[in-house]
Amino acid sequence: MKRLVAIACVLVLVSAFPAPAAEPPKRGGSLIVCVGDEPPGLDPTASASAAIDRVVYSNLFEGLVKVDRHGKLVPGLAHGWEVSPDAKTYTFRLRQGVRFHNGEPFNAQVARWNLERGAAEGTKNAHPEFFRQIATIETPDDFTLRLTLKEVNALFLFQMAEGDSVMLPMKGWEDTASRPIGTGPFRFIEWRRGDSVVLERNPNYWNPALPYLDRLTYRFIKDPSAQVAALKAGDVDVLGWILAPEIARGIARDKRFKVLSGSSTSEVIMSTNNKAKPFDNKLVRQAMAHAIDRKTVNELVMLGYGTPIGSHWPPITPYYVDLTKKFPYDPKKAKELLAQAGYPNGFAARIQLPAIYPYAQKAGEVIADMLGRVGIRLKIEIVEWGFWLDRIFKQKDFELSMIGHAEAWDIGIYANPNYYFQYDSAEFRDAYQKALRAETEAEKAKWFARCQEIVAEDAVNGFLFVSPSLSAMKAEVMNWWKDYPTIALDATEVWWNK
Amino acid sequence: MGPPGLFPMLRYVLIKFATLVLLLILVSLTVFAVLFVLPGDPAQIILGIHATPESLARLRAELGLDRPFFTQYADWVGNLLLGRSALSIHYKMPVFELVASRLAVTGPLALLAMLFAVAFAVPLGIYAARHQNRPQDLAVMAFTQVGLATPEFWLGILLVLLFSVELNWFAAGGFPGWAADPLGSLKALLLPAFALGIIRAAILARLTRSSMLDVLREDYIRTARAKGLRERTVIYVHALRNALIPVLTILGLQLGQLLAGAIIIENVFFLPGLGRLVFTAIGMRDLPVVRDVVLLMAAAVVFVNFLVDLAYAAVDPRIELH
Repeated sequence: MKRLVAIACVLVLVSAFPAPAAEPPKRGGSLIVCVGDEPPGLDPTASASAAIDRVVYSNLFEGLVKVDRHGKLVPGLAHGWEVSPDAKTYTFRLRQGVRFHNGEPFNAQVARWNLERGAAEGTKNAHPEFFRQIATIETPDDFTLRLTLKEVNALFLFQMAEGDSVMLPMKGWEDTASRPIGTGPFRFIEWRRGDSVVLERNPNYWNPALPYLDRLTYRFIKDPSAQVAALKAGDVDVLGWILAPEIARGIARDKRFKVLSGSSTSEVIMSTNNKAKPFDNKLVRQAMAHAIDRKTVNELVMLGYGTPIGSHWPPITPYYVDLTKKFPYDPKKAKELLAQAGYPNGFAARIQLPAIYPYAQKAGEVIADMLGRVGIRLKIEIVEWGFWLDRIFKQKDFELSMIGHAEAWDIGIYANPNYYFQYDSAEFRDAYQKALRAETEAEKAKWFARCQEIVAEDAVNGFLFVSPSLSAMKAEVMNWWKDYPTIALDATEVWWNK
Repeated sequence: MGPPGLFPMLRYVLIKFATLVLLLILVSLTVFAVLFVLPGDPAQIILGIHATPESLARLRAELGLDRPFFTQYADWVGNLLLGRSALSIHYKMPVFELVASRLAVTGPLALLAMLFAVAFAVPLGIYAARHQNRPQDLAVMAFTQVGLATPEFWLGILLVLLFSVELNWFAAGGFPGWAADPLGSLKALLLPAFALGIIRAAILARLTRSSMLDVLREDYIRTARAKGLRERTVIYVHALRNALIPVLTILGLQLGQLLAGAIIIENVFFLPGLGRLVFTAIGMRDLPVVRDVVLLMAAAVVFVNFLVDLAYAAVDPRIELH
């Protein structure tokens, strides 16, 4: 009951603040945003690290298109685009008068150079395939960019909206990791290693109405209790990405602050090695799916802030299908399936949990208890992150683990039989190909839905919940993103109401 | 026993110095070997789990991680001896610069912590010794017992809750930088140094007490008292000087523990110090940074031990190498 009251309080608190449009935003002020991880360099085109995007995406750097706060594609450096009827040719109309922070103009030549750089042999880009799918790049004039793809790809525009696809200037791009130069609403001032990255308002931003803030600082504080102390003592204004929901509840009780709880794209799954015995048996995996009470997992691990899922697809991403009813909580059914699979007395297995993510450890303990009730005795092992990446992710030497898959649109990992959970299904690969090559919206929706269903039916992994996008801030901070449909902490439209 | 005729002192110093060099070589080999076999690929950690195998292989080659053990080791030690700094994988800047900027936080932090430790420990220890087995002594002992059992990070959090969150006298952490705000920087170090120092003080107070009690039993103290000197003079002029020798020795030897404590406390107060640097660097597998910092910390401890050995020899010429 207490928990419900607390959640209700949060909801009331959140809804008590007026919608962003209700009041004209005020200009000026300096905002300090606390994030847990310091980025490994500031170049999103040379690393897929989420910590980089959380600082620079849409703040410092922009691509042709962007993802907005609702998960929709919106114009970035291209103010519009057309797609040919065969869905292979994209014509982008670029904004005029855009300049990089060092004064260099942005135009079709610069865009072309960026795309070619991403595709080049020896590129540092973590996703060269985004650019190598482009067959030809034409620049009929300075502000028109025509790209023809080798094959239809339903995700192409979303890939162009990723941090890997932002535009760098042709001069001065070499030091992007330490001295980034972009076109965004904020420009780089200083990276104080171990402490913060400081940005300031770009006075020459192509949209003269934005940004509202004069100064924007991302400060790196890893320890959750230190984060709360920093917020309460006034050393930071926003906690951008709260991993421990207990913190959110405590802050929500304090009138000086507000907590925003939305949805993210991070699916927390009990990753399962589909090649390891007995998890190579679909019945065993389905039995586990029946043995997990997702609602309780979400209550115990995320205090109810998360959203239960039945497949590998976030509810805020287009084409979502609700499959949470596919394997309802049913321990009896789970035992039957286990008996059918040849394990009437259950079995023992090992679950390895990465130490850096508190949710993974908590979820692991809850799951171990639930699976224990149907006879699957889990031995819990806490492992360090480097170890996790090496043994579990790379060498695939594991039985069960627990991790959040943060990227949006990542169901394609199930089409790769060498991916760490080693799921090998021709049916899925076929459906995924059809989804990617779909030329109409209806076709896309149909096949992406099918992908979700196949993965759910095969119970490839234990699908638990989508992490909440929990943020906390001073009550006067307005217009912060509630949901995080992409990996970003975009402060372009944030303003101070004081 | 050394052969007579040689300068025994010089021989002692030389042998101690040779030990120091040998130790450092062993430390460097160990650090390197441990990091070499440690699971966890820096390239994977940098590029994230969504990176392609191609980009991983390229980064690995760029970082030189695909070369054999001894080539990498020789490269590292060679560059260190030549004073050439490697580049931090994570921070994209020379490791030496990074370490220098972090030392500017951890150095003063350690020094302040020592000051706090001594400032509390010595008076408390003397007080307890003077009231041996009386309630005052028991109170001090009980206090130090609590101090010994208190983890630094917990004390740190309590201090933040009281002085930052409730009273708002201090920032909850962070460091403005000496150049930007010298006074603010000093203030930023007070709470963490206090948390670190007060725990050390508990140990040192006990040591001061027992050392003081030993000295007070010596003949020369009895003589001093017999001369009719005031108790105050006996304690602070005659006894204290000798009682402090073991205390200062232990203080020096505690440097290692202090550096370990700094790792924790710098995380609680999010100070950009050496401890937090090495903590993050291990997690990120920023091998050039981990190697250099661990070697530096080990070198500091070994060097302080070396100085303590020398100081002993200087104070007591009877000490020789056995």
